[in-house]
Amino acid sequence: MNHIFIKKGHDIRIAGIPSKDVVSIPGSDTVAISPKTFRGVKPKRMVSEGDRVQIGSPLFFDKTKPEVKWASPANGTVQTIQFGARHVIEKIEIKIEGTDSISGQTFLMEQLESADHQTILNRILEANLFPLIRQRPFNKVANPKDSPRDIFISAVNTAPLSVDLESVLESEKMAFQAGVTALSKLTDGSVVVTSKKAMELQHAEVQTISGPHPAGNVGIQIHHSKSIKPGEIIWSVNAQHVITLGKLFLNGSYSPDILVTIAGPGATNPQTVFAKVGASIGSLIAKQEISEPTRLISGNVLTGQTVEVDNFLGFYDSSVSIVLDSVDRPFMGMLAVGNSESKYSLTNTFLTFGEKFFNFNTAQNGELRAMVPINAWEKVLPMDVHPNALYRAILAQDIEEMEQLGMWECDDEDFALCSFACPSKIDVGSVIRDGLDMLEAEG
Amino acid sequence: MKWLRDILDKVAPTFKADGKLEKLYPIFEATDTILFSTDERTHSGPHIRDSVDIKRVMILVVIALIPCYIFGAMNVGYQMAMALGQSSTWWENLLSGALKILPIIAVAFASGAFWELLFAVIRRHPVSEGFLVTCALIPLVMPPTIPLWQVAVATTFGIVIGKEIFGGVGMNIFNPALVARAFLFFTYPGRISGDKVWVSGPDGYSGATALAVPAAELSQDAVTLLESVTQFDFSWINLFMGWIPGSIGETSTVWIMVGAVFLALTGIASWRVMVGAILGLTGMAALTNFMAEITGSTNTMLTLPAHYHLVMGGFAFGVVFMATEPVTGAHTDKGRWIYGIFIGGLTVIIRSINPAYPEGAMLAILLMNAFASLIDYFVIRGNIKRRMVRYAQ
Repeated sequence: MNHIFIKKGHDIRIAGIPSKDVVSIPGSDTVAISPKTFRGVKPKRMVSEGDRVQIGSPLFFDKTKPEVKWASPANGTVQTIQFGARHVIEKIEIKIEGTDSISGQTFLMEQLESADHQTILNRILEANLFPLIRQRPFNKVANPKDSPRDIFISAVNTAPLSVDLESVLESEKMAFQAGVTALSKLTDGSVVVTSKKAMELQHAEVQTISGPHPAGNVGIQIHHSKSIKPGEIIWSVNAQHVITLGKLFLNGSYSPDILVTIAGPGATNPQTVFAKVGASIGSLIAKQEISEPTRLISGNVLTGQTVEVDNFLGFYDSSVSIVLDSVDRPFMGMLAVGNSESKYSLTNTFLTFGEKFFNFNTAQNGELRAMVPINAWEKVLPMDVHPNALYRAILAQDIEEMEQLGMWECDDEDFALCSFACPSKIDVGSVIRDGLDMLEAEG
Repeated sequence: MKWLRDILDKVAPTFKADGKLEKLYPIFEATDTILFSTDERTHSGPHIRDSVDIKRVMILVVIALIPCYIFGAMNVGYQMAMALGQSSTWWENLLSGALKILPIIAVAFASGAFWELLFAVIRRHPVSEGFLVTCALIPLVMPPTIPLWQVAVATTFGIVIGKEIFGGVGMNIFNPALVARAFLFFTYPGRISGDKVWVSGPDGYSGATALAVPAAELSQDAVTLLESVTQFDFSWINLFMGWIPGSIGETSTVWIMVGAVFLALTGIASWRVMVGAILGLTGMAALTNFMAEITGSTNTMLTLPAHYHLVMGGFAFGVVFMATEPVTGAHTDKGRWIYGIFIGGLTVIIRSINPAYPEGAMLAILLMNAFASLIDYFVIRGNIKRRMVRYAQ
């Protein structure tokens, strides 16, 4: 079995680690999906305000790929449809009123094993769950007409404060296996599952990985097993969503509940909860007594989006991070000796010792400056890519150079740690995203 | 410090958009954020960030220079007392030396700050902390007898031509402090080379640097020659300790090493450049020693062994504080090795083969600054080639 040993990277020791026991919290009254958050999707709604929907009913589809539709994660009434500029749907909100779901064909394990490509694909499409599958390059919703080289599943979360996948996969072994088996029908290559410890899985190539974040990112795993070449397409599915797909085949219906962590230095009660895809942030943080100013983030602290209490959990997100939002201004701070309470740095520029967990706030800790290359990016990027050269090629809009430097293998989430570590406070990840957009526009 | 904070908060609106002094905002911003760390919060990208910033990086380089400053002052005082034939205690040396170098420091910082702030205001970019390092380096590479107006002119040239015309810190090709020194070296050579400038003693007092000794003689053994000098103690250990004539901050290899260890441990300076330079210097010196033996050349410099090259002249200072400057050096780790090795090798070549310039380190670093991007280019081509092979499979 292949083992990937990641040396570069960093596990940020952020305080507010969620407890691993799953607690149940009162469910959300409403759920919502924001079509505008899906990259490259042109949403067209299939419901109107006041319509009754069941779990699994289609809410909208993508005009560029009409067979790809999004399932409602709840049973109830469409409460609001919010439009933004140029009448693009921003949000479809559903008031939960029941638990009924649309049910379809169920599969036994043996039937799954002998099923063909078209049967599996059709079932996922008609259950409106195809958006759970994303593609590399560009990290966007996959196209069902493509035939991916391989399908990668990361069974390890290394992002700060993320869900402990090991125990979920252990308790949902059957569903996970069913999901993997189904996905294996969608590619001529293999389903590659990367985990911390060896796993017993059929119809998949299992490989193990060790090392710090971003080892759990599927982009890094692809890069280190069989890197993506220009023109190739690889699909990836979150491990929890593989379970969702598995359950779809075994039970015949969509189960929109996933594990979500509520954590971070601002969380008074960091925990792991069961919640619906698109649950309201307010319902998720109901058990947190937040008194200080904090920033709520849907997703992890590196790549997540800032949200408000009345917003909703992102479609692919499985954590709500809460970070302190008050920043003070120490006198002559640049001369401070620093200690592990007040400073957190990957460099040795402060006297910080030990492995203490740090109460991060939203301070940028400096102003934006020109690049001063002291290897801060290189130390946290476990890829055979020169981030510095790539960054400059993107700024110069030199697409050919970008391609040569490995743009096809990159995704912004893999560069988030570079932005974290950058002394010049450059947001490397968003520049990488600009580069990907240029590459995609070029065709 | 609340009173100071209150004052800054009170005057802030004057400098912000639509304020009376809006144009001077970069100056206000620099003062404000130097005195009190910024409270800017993350708005794009990761919500949390590392505590290090460019201010911290730059100020630590300045801190790493403090041992060189203190020793430099003591040595200037010591050489002065020696030249006058007086005996003095260490604190008398420190005091008289400090009086000599403080005006140089003041002029360097004043003219450097003037140009940096002027450009920040005109070009509307934030004041970059890099000028602190440049201004801290310039006095240390000047002889103690340098006229103050030349310090001002050199600093101006270094900051404006060496840095600002390229767009400021991060965009410059050459190390601004070295550009400043090179400017003086070629425009006013009488005040920065020769044997009259290294000791601020009585008028007409002459004392050559250690490097000038073997450069001036033919067909001798460099080490024997150095040891025969009676005016100064040019034994290896004293060259290493630094009680010798030279530029203000560059004489003491031991204190430079303290700065080197500090910079390498904090991760600001690349140890690869430093080690590479020492390797390059050792290799090239071994080669010149060997050449001297087999060719029977009359060039005394060729016989100077590596461990002398290491402690003489500006090599140690240049490598630790100038070659390692992240912006103007190579940006890839492999490139840094090559860059360092070439600096070491070129220093020996310039010193020995062309004894008209006994100080080879400055020119070697400037030359390699020019080639750093080319080195990176080849390292990155190597990476691309590997990728293309992978893609072709």
